[in-house]
Amino acid sequence: MPDDCHEVLRELEVYLDGECPDDLEALVARHLRACSPCTDRAEFERGLRAVIAAKCTDCAPAGLLERVKAQLRVLS
Amino acid sequence: MPSGTVRQELTDEERRDSFTRDALPYLDQLYSAALRYTRNPADAEDLVQEAFAKAYSAFHQFRPGTNLRAWLYRILANTYINTYRKQQRRPDEVSADAYRDGLSDGAGDFSLYDRIAAATQAPAEVEALRRLPDEEVKQALADLPEQFRMAVYLADVEGFTYAEIADIMGTPIGTVMSRLHRGRAALQRALYDYATQRGLLSAAGGPAESHEENPRERRTDA
Ligand SMILES: [Zn+2]
Repeated sequence: MPDDCHEVLRELEVYLDGECPDDLEALVARHLRACSPCTDRAEFERGLRAVIAAKCTDCAPAGLLERVKAQLRVLS
Repeated sequence: MPSGTVRQELTDEERRDSFTRDALPYLDQLYSAALRYTRNPADAEDLVQEAFAKAYSAFHQFRPGTNLRAWLYRILANTYINTYRKQQRRPDEVSADAYRDGLSDGAGDFSLYDRIAAATQAPAEVEALRRLPDEEVKQALADLPEQFRMAVYLADVEGFTYAEIADIMGTPIGTVMSRLHRGRAALQRALYDYATQRGLLSAAGGPAESHEENPRERRTDA
């Protein structure tokens, strides 16, 4: 694995979180445009987060909103 | 009107209208987060109600124009810690916390991408994981120790920034990053196990595992 890839993969998690400083972010983005193995990995990690996000959300049960509202009227 | 005193000037009715308009739309999200904390629907409902009651009582302290969503999550987190966590902790969680950080050393090393790529001799595709039932992914997340579970949830499902998560969890940003890194790796390991059990990974085009040989028969041969 070329040195660049090693460097980039070390930053990949923070990069995907959108938390890299601007200069580092530009560096990683430039590498990803040119390196398909790193892009494959980045796409996988990004896709996996999307899968987790899609599967781990729930809606409040029916009636909870009304119960919360009723509680606010009592608290006022 | 001096700034910072706006909320106190509101009548009860105005305060209730403003809270109803601005805070209550987060009900589904807060319930979803509460379910990740408590891991059971009845406690999650109670937690959400209590958190909204606290938020409403403290609404005059919220500064308009700042981050209401993160503010509500912080109240939810504190309500959980103060009211539910102590009574809810199960023995397995207590023993998990016996590790200094809740996950054993080396937990940050697992890479689902590498595992799948090694098994299939091809770049890993996320498609196989998408076929996991929602309940198994939720269970994989629920099985993580609380602080790792919530860091991953707040980042990957709710999309909060490191700074917001640090604020919600009351920890330094470095701690958030460490919990995220190790929590994600542990979650990937669990997802790998679920996906393997369902045969999702060998079906992805890699060398299919042989199901013909029964290991028990082999053992009697020896
Ligand atoms: Zn590369």
